[in-house]
Amino acid sequence: MTPARRPRRVVPHFMAAAGLAADHVGVQRTTLVHVAAEVVADGLDPPASHLVNLLERGPLAAYECAAHLHLPYCVVRLLVADLVAAGTLLTRDPPAAEMPRRELLELVLSGLRAL
Amino acid sequence: MGSVPYSGRPGIDDVPVKIVIAGPFGVGKTTMVGALSEIPPLNTEEVLTEAGALVDDLSGVSEKTTTTTAIDFGRLTLPGVVLYLFGAPGQTRYRLLWQDLVRGALGVLVLADTRRIADSYDVMDLVETAGLRYAVAVNDFPDSPDHPGDVLRKVLDLDPATPLVRVDARDPASARGALIALVEHIEEMLP
Repeated sequence: MTPARRPRRVVPHFMAAAGLAADHVGVQRTTLVHVAAEVVADGLDPPASHLVNLLERGPLAAYECAAHLHLPYCVVRLLVADLVAAGTLLTRDPPAAEMPRRELLELVLSGLRAL
Repeated sequence: MGSVPYSGRPGIDDVPVKIVIAGPFGVGKTTMVGALSEIPPLNTEEVLTEAGALVDDLSGVSEKTTTTTAIDFGRLTLPGVVLYLFGAPGQTRYRLLWQDLVRGALGVLVLADTRRIADSYDVMDLVETAGLRYAVAVNDFPDSPDHPGDVLRKVLDLDPATPLVRVDARDPASARGALIALVEHIEEMLP
């Protein structure tokens, strides 16, 4: 971890004014986010259009999107949820990991051993 | 913002898997995330508020300045799965962030430094409170004292089944070995 504690505005003014309002936020840090087919970024607000452009080359985790957009994760999470509600983005949720499946662990192990 | 300085993306059918690398300041978390990651390690900002990371609307954070901390993370795509590696701060003052950050994690690799083993007590407390599966990896520094494994186990109060491995956090193969020990342990713990 790199300490970077400094006070500043967390949410840019233009985003706070836009008032993101997704009903249900199911987005997690490792939720994979990708662009729905036939979406054009035209007419989206700056952070949303940046996000759509970022994802045009393929899916990224919500956490990775936040790093590239230089916005806090809690903000990007809401942005993604809003764009999912609008049909612009699609997501793939991570599996519930409380009791991982043996097949998943085997996939991880065989992948790590093969490197 | 701007260009994305690497190629390669996970597939949408890849299963995202979260693994947390936890330890005190300066133990080598950033180094290890970098050794394992296929992309240059990234920094994502987390907002530290009274309510922890349980921020579900912007009303609480949009009107005020707030303390943030940057979390290192990296990505490692394997056939069918994509591992996300989170470097988690090990101080108990981050407990609220921790609880949210580790949710859904497959397991935790606790990085320890034998030159200042007491610094790891906070992390052990966080991991055990969160009820997560974990392994302990001792990062070998050139001047690390060579404590026998059973002494370290006693000092860290480890369960006999918990893996305790040595790692060179700079070395990708060594770092992967530590991850393998963790995942093998998680598999053994399955009913």
